[in-house]
Amino acid sequence: AYLAQAGKRVLVLERRHVLGGAAVTEEVFPGFKFSVCSYVVSLLRPEIIRELDLPRHGLEILPLDGTFTPMPNGDYLWRVNDHAKTRREIARHSRLDAEAYDEYGKAMVEMAHFVKPIMSMTPPDPTSLNPKGLMDLLFLGRRFQRLPAEDKYNQVQLMTMSAVDFLDQWFETDVLKATMSASGIIGTFLGVRSPGTAYVLLHHYMGEIDGAFRSWGLSRGGTGAISDAIGDAAREAGAEIRTEAPIAKIILKNGQAKGVVLTNGDEIYADVVSSSVDPRLTFMKMVGEEHLPEDFADDLKRYKYRGSSGKVNLALDGLPNFKALPGPGRHLRGAVSISPSVDYMERAYDEAKYGRFSRRPYIDIVIPSLTDPSVAPPGKHVMSCFVQYAPYNLKEGTWDEKREEFGDTVIETIAEHAPNIKDLILHRQVVTPLDLERDFGLSEGNIFQGELTLEQLFFLRPAPGWAQYRTPIRNLYMCGSATHPGGGIMGASGRNGAMAILKDHN
Amino acid sequence: MHDVIIIGAGHNGLVAACYLAKAGLKTLVLERREIVGGIAVTEEIHPGFRCSTVAHANGPLLPHIIKDLQLHRHGLELIEPEVQVTALDRDGRSISIYKDAARTAQELEKISAADAKSYPEFEACFSRIGRVLAPLMTMTPPAIEKPSAADLWNLGKLGLSFHGLGKKDAFRLLRWGPMAVADLAAEWFENEMLRSIVAARGIFGAFAGPWSAGTSAALLMQAALDGHAILPASLVKGGMGALTQMLAKAATEAGAEIRTNAAVVSVRVADGKATGVVLADGEEVPAWTNVSAHDPGTTLLQLLAFEELEPSFRNKIQQFRAHGTVAKLNLALSALPKFAGLDCENSVDKISGRIHIGPEIDYLERAFDAAKYGDYSPQPYMDITIPSLTDSSLAPKGAHVMSIHVQFAPYKLKNGDWHSRSQEFSDNVIEQLSEYAPNLKELIVGGQLITPLDLEETYGLRGGHIFHGEQTLDQMFAFRPVIGWAQYRTPIKGLYLCGSGTHPGGGITGGPGANASREILKDLKKR
Repeated sequence: AYLAQAGKRVLVLERRHVLGGAAVTEEVFPGFKFSVCSYVVSLLRPEIIRELDLPRHGLEILPLDGTFTPMPNGDYLWRVNDHAKTRREIARHSRLDAEAYDEYGKAMVEMAHFVKPIMSMTPPDPTSLNPKGLMDLLFLGRRFQRLPAEDKYNQVQLMTMSAVDFLDQWFETDVLKATMSASGIIGTFLGVRSPGTAYVLLHHYMGEIDGAFRSWGLSRGGTGAISDAIGDAAREAGAEIRTEAPIAKIILKNGQAKGVVLTNGDEIYADVVSSSVDPRLTFMKMVGEEHLPEDFADDLKRYKYRGSSGKVNLALDGLPNFKALPGPGRHLRGAVSISPSVDYMERAYDEAKYGRFSRRPYIDIVIPSLTDPSVAPPGKHVMSCFVQYAPYNLKEGTWDEKREEFGDTVIETIAEHAPNIKDLILHRQVVTPLDLERDFGLSEGNIFQGELTLEQLFFLRPAPGWAQYRTPIRNLYMCGSATHPGGGIMGASGRNGAMAILKDHN
Repeated sequence: MHDVIIIGAGHNGLVAACYLAKAGLKTLVLERREIVGGIAVTEEIHPGFRCSTVAHANGPLLPHIIKDLQLHRHGLELIEPEVQVTALDRDGRSISIYKDAARTAQELEKISAADAKSYPEFEACFSRIGRVLAPLMTMTPPAIEKPSAADLWNLGKLGLSFHGLGKKDAFRLLRWGPMAVADLAAEWFENEMLRSIVAARGIFGAFAGPWSAGTSAALLMQAALDGHAILPASLVKGGMGALTQMLAKAATEAGAEIRTNAAVVSVRVADGKATGVVLADGEEVPAWTNVSAHDPGTTLLQLLAFEELEPSFRNKIQQFRAHGTVAKLNLALSALPKFAGLDCENSVDKISGRIHIGPEIDYLERAFDAAKYGDYSPQPYMDITIPSLTDSSLAPKGAHVMSIHVQFAPYKLKNGDWHSRSQEFSDNVIEQLSEYAPNLKELIVGGQLITPLDLEETYGLRGGHIFHGEQTLDQMFAFRPVIGWAQYRTPIKGLYLCGSGTHPGGGITGGPGANASREILKDLKKR
């Protein structure tokens, strides 16, 4: 969209029959519209919404209120956007934590403000002495300098600590720490006790809608609606979008990208090729290792994907009934988080480390049909369950063999908290890491196109020295989640990538 | 009245004492135990059997310290066996790492041509990076708050040598820092046992498994101290105690006074300035400058009255993660045990360095898993030395002492406590070790277990952490012990830290002691 707006002749090629990649809505079962993969919005950069005027193109974000965490002992923790309520709720578990929660919120927002500009900046190359890069590094240093002492302390811990170690310093209630730490591990192959996960906490804390920090939402018509809105904006700006046009190869002439060959043999030539798929597909498959500098190829081989999550989408005949808080209610309109204790979360990870999916996984449940009736027939509901851990590499068996077993595990886990779930299920769609790879072109099923670990962030994403959206192949660019600032429906990579292209070609 | 009181005669306390006394300051060292040395001591564990009871290998003590204090003149003898490490597995397979990289590569040929090829470059790469990081170890971390001219100058120099590394190594350094050591090992080697040897260095003494992010940083730190990628074996003739005895000699020679059986129970503070210390028997010893070789917790939370510190700082010190994960089992053996797969009579050299038990990455990770849930590892990672092989002074003829570093043994147990579970713990260790040395049991004539609790009660390590605190990225360099207070000073004027809880951290290096004394002298010159 940005390139078309800048007056370039843009052609978008999509392998599948629908736009959106992992941000799609599909009517898998008649009448039920699933946000098959990605299911909530919040990281989408406000400037993108603004600049592309997405609301006019049909984007409508519906607020998703709160997180409900049922506990095995029949109790629950229910945090909502209404601050006072949440405070009272937490106080029910611990007065101290209620106090700390305010402080924590403030601190995190501070941190988020500190990191935000870094999101939309092109990572400098710390090893080169070019003035621009040094200035950028200096700029970062200065910003850090200017932080108040307390924030410096937090920032350092945030960048290096584990989510649980970090939260331990603020809170005492186990379930609170468990459910909060969950956002530190989403999409990574790390446990809540693994150093580095505290940062991901922040990454998710940056969730903002219209500049309001820490609010998550659904897009009307499912996540696909976002993609459609952006698609619209692109078309309006003059871009052409072709679906069911899978790319076989990127055409190279003396080390330069000249265009692409489709699997049907069509050759399409262009001055610039920009890939939003992950580096493995872009370089190993479409370019070919033989055309890459050895070091670059080695770095790409080292780049870690390690998908760790799956998705179970359910078509329901009614609403689940949670033992902890029976009956339908507002708690079902937010997210329901199956994360009863820190040890529960860590154990789920331990199993994944040794190559099997968690017997009792962490599950993040959303019932979009409550907020957006358009996605299910009257009286019926769709339920989206994000499940972790589901390691791409299984020690025993394949994902195709294990798919149903995995689905059952998820249902069993939910049934422990909402026994009636089993009788409500009309249809079930199980999306394994392998499906994410095959159907959605995400290598090893990593939803972020590569792990969000420190050594794969900022100027190291996706490869040291190649974090500026450019590649060793001239006129070939990257604009996917595998570039800074990484995954999530954020759009920043695409925008930054477009800017890099315009810089070189104007 | 003394110019300086040093609390604790561990290696760092003694190093500081040497430097300060040499500078002409009237220095008094107070040690609560009957012997000096802290955790670098040689003690009799059984009649006729002497052993480095806690730390069993030289850190190494930084070369400039050995030189400045002329420790060789005082009789320092380092033993560096040809075979540095030998790793064993249950099926009698073994890998030996030699001092000489080429020799190691030769040995590796047997298991993997690829690994044999990578090994020399692996060693070389780490000594290159080590050389660049080395200056970090001897420098005082910059004040993040308001860097002084000196700080900037040091950082500038560092920046340049960083560029000197060249793009490839520079990026390696940046990428490795936060990485899990298991990934680092996998980048270089394909053989599982070799990977585990590499990974071991990243988790040694830490509350972390090979899959924990940031464990590569620990490895890089160590590489910076000794230039080796793999945990080297540098033993001291007479045990680690001999080393601290020499430091004590050097200190007294320089004019310092050392008092043992003199436990400091509190530091006196008058209007924000430390004025001296109080001993267990109530005796008050005044001094202008007070330096604590204790860990930050003991010093700032135990020896200081509650109200002396402002809450937010106190809180940060409380947050400093310092729960130990290591226990030490020292055995007196009537003879040398036979290790499966090694014919020990003819390959004694193979076990003269370290013996590594922890044959796979997953083995090490599982050992850590237990600790996460508050239990000791059913199958622990063990780092073993048999110092009597290279130093006959430690055991009767033909007999031997075996020193076993056992990980993980979390300070806080979920069920029971260390008093009630130490027997079951050591039984398990011996059980496990017997899988590698079948005849071990019948050779045991005596022994001694040191649990994290003993480390706290007997050796005065609050939380029982051998490094005085975790050495994770957030507790390193300018953040050790806490950001803003990494320059050995404390909010209390005239009270300094010189222990492993400060940069460059744990291990018998003397670095903290030397760096701290430099800062102290700086402050005294100002006055």
